[in-house]
Amino acid sequence: MRARFTEIFVTSFTWVSGLLFLSAAFTVIGFLLVKGIPALSVSLLFGETAPVDVFLLRRQVLTGLFPAIAGTCLLVILAVGMATPVGLAAGIYLAEYGRGSLKNFFSLFYDILAGVPSIVIGLFGFSIAIILHRYVNDIYPCLLISALALALLVLPYLIRTTQFAMESIPSKIRLTAPALGATKLQNIVYVLFPRSLPGISSGIILAIGRCAEDTAVIMLTGVVASAGIPGSLLSAYEALPFYIYYISSQYRDAAELQTGYGAAVILLVICACLFLVAFYLKNRLIERMFYSR
Amino acid sequence: MNRATLAEAGFLGAAVLSASLTALILMFMLFLGFPLLRGGHFFTLLTTSWNPDKGLFGIYPMLTGTLSIVFLSLLWAFPLSLGTSALMSVIAPPVFSKFCKKTVQMLTGIPTVIYGFVGVFLLVPFIREVFASGSGMSILSASLMLSMVISPTMILIYTDAFESVPASYTAAADALGATPVQKLIYVILPYSRDGIFSGIVLSAGRAMGDTIIALMIAGNAVAVPGSVLDSARALTSHIALVIAADFDSIEFKTIFAAGLVLYAFAAFIIFIARIIGRTGMKKI
Amino acid sequence: MKEIISSNIKIKTVNLSFNYGRLSVLKDISVEFPECSISAIVGPSGKGKSTFLMIFNRLWETIPGARMEGEAFIRLKNKWINIYDRSVSLPDLRRSVGTVFQTPNPLPMSIFKNISFPLKLSGVKEKQIVDKKVESALKQAFLWEEVKDRLNEDARSLSGGQQQRLCIARSLILDPEILLLDEPTSFLDAESGRIIEDLLLSIKERCTILLISHYMDQIRRIADQVETFE
Repeated sequence: MRARFTEIFVTSFTWVSGLLFLSAAFTVIGFLLVKGIPALSVSLLFGETAPVDVFLLRRQVLTGLFPAIAGTCLLVILAVGMATPVGLAAGIYLAEYGRGSLKNFFSLFYDILAGVPSIVIGLFGFSIAIILHRYVNDIYPCLLISALALALLVLPYLIRTTQFAMESIPSKIRLTAPALGATKLQNIVYVLFPRSLPGISSGIILAIGRCAEDTAVIMLTGVVASAGIPGSLLSAYEALPFYIYYISSQYRDAAELQTGYGAAVILLVICACLFLVAFYLKNRLIERMFYSR
Repeated sequence: MNRATLAEAGFLGAAVLSASLTALILMFMLFLGFPLLRGGHFFTLLTTSWNPDKGLFGIYPMLTGTLSIVFLSLLWAFPLSLGTSALMSVIAPPVFSKFCKKTVQMLTGIPTVIYGFVGVFLLVPFIREVFASGSGMSILSASLMLSMVISPTMILIYTDAFESVPASYTAAADALGATPVQKLIYVILPYSRDGIFSGIVLSAGRAMGDTIIALMIAGNAVAVPGSVLDSARALTSHIALVIAADFDSIEFKTIFAAGLVLYAFAAFIIFIARIIGRTGMKKI
Repeated sequence: MKEIISSNIKIKTVNLSFNYGRLSVLKDISVEFPECSISAIVGPSGKGKSTFLMIFNRLWETIPGARMEGEAFIRLKNKWINIYDRSVSLPDLRRSVGTVFQTPNPLPMSIFKNISFPLKLSGVKEKQIVDKKVESALKQAFLWEEVKDRLNEDARSLSGGQQQRLCIARSLILDPEILLLDEPTSFLDAESGRIIEDLLLSIKERCTILLISHYMDQIRRIADQVETFE
């Protein structure tokens, strides 16, 4: 009977899709871990140099991943540091001050920004560097330019998370302070913003993850394969995702390829940890803030 | 100026700054690509082949490269994602569904470059073996890997859509004796039509904007792909590859044309998603 | 709990207990309901009346932490069935035991499609049969005259009372032997409520009805017996 056939077909189709998807995902991760974990070691990070010397800034790391990890960290701190104030402020504006068509208008721009491919944002950053170079000869694509471009990349996410977190506050809570005589700004600062912190922090963590993993933007704005630890904001730098990309086509022997796997595992672990932190932060903060009496 | 107006001005300033930067990106593409756009050259640019030796700088092959990779990725990802989210929301027992959802959520956090890396060293040799032709770097391999990249987000969008069906409808279906499959087909899917379509549109945008997978796996040959096993170059990869060329050359300026096309596609996709009524940004 | 001994029992529970997690909602209930009658279930809020009704359509099974002990039986097509036996298929059970909820829940479809939905689920497709059954169900629900010229309109455009009668018609189209109603007239005006009471009286010959109600005059009007939960 046709109905029976539909039942069996749909049930099998959904199970097959789900299991196929899960096995593909686990194959990717499993392959990486199997190949990459053996590559993990202190020398992977620091090459021939002793870690102590590196941290005391006595010596440079020549063949390790440490500069790339350091580059990624600096990049993330700079980019998120620049994007957060702007993103949060814009998000607050949309949630609390924006009305009607103006709000819609801004929203549209942010949606587009979120949709622009990362390589185009990288291209934009590159163009900025070129134009600045004409006025200040020292400026080339560098750490600062990359950080600016990455900040632009994650800006829409921060705006949206902030806006969404603030708009989700139920009206009962929203009206408590004003009913007691608070001004709009006071309401935002003392009630609404603190209340949105779980959602906002989770958004910031996700933005950190996005900056840590991006390859396209940094490729066009100053990352190189070997530059050591960046000396200043205007110098070239290394980054973990770029190293992985670079090694995949430029490896000279099996040992170098292994470092690629190792780097991939490290990046994976960093992103997994960030994700877990974002998740628990959101839940724990909510618990601690709203259920501790 | 008291504190309140100052603060409001500050918030507004941030909002305006963010919006202006979005517009600025577009203007830069137009400005820097201007020599190529002048006099209707833009359309010839989109339809000519790329052959620097012969003075041909059309980005048509890259356009077809991008379109074919995106189309194929959606072809693999859509049924897979729809089936998986139907499984998670309706068919499978709750314990399994919860496990599935957590896994999918974690997968959205995996860097694209890692998929690319695994693609190069696992998928490409596999394709090379199975099809016994070429290097294995093809739009087939790229689209397979890209579909893995876009599926987790697509699955979450669909699961969200399914779970947003009002409880009164699903309760009615249950009480009337519908099996889970019947409930899915007759109540949940029809109600989620908008969400399903917007999931496709948003994932298409994501696939189109990807650089790394195409760059590492699709082969980057500048030719209109004739079969799925052919190597091809995407608009995004083109930008990454040509950036090292001489700044004042025509060759270089084509990357701004490519950037313009990508920006236009992205804006177009946002408009379509808006018309359907969602932007899906909650599913970051 | 009062035990009723009657000639033709339709529904029976034996030592029925129900818990949500650690909260005990129903305790050791053994009760019988006769066929072709209207049995009212009354009592203060929170005493498990709606839960008791859900025993018979097994709609509680998706609620996490919910547990049932004891047994429940219904006599369908003159054979006694243990509702919780492994061989019982949930969709089949719910086609014989109809449910009407407190808030009308029309599906987002036309009136016609709403009523014929159960037929679609059980594979009945011939247009003539479907049309006839839809008309008959709407007539049983005292709704035919009001909607016969607009069967293709969206069901949600009907008034509250009409929507509830639509839901009743939808539940009746498969000729269930048992009909469960959870406070069906609570959100309706007095006149709509009256129409539904008359409706129930008219179908009790074909159907055993379990009705939760807070309205004493309603119960006095139509109930053949009353079970009190307290």
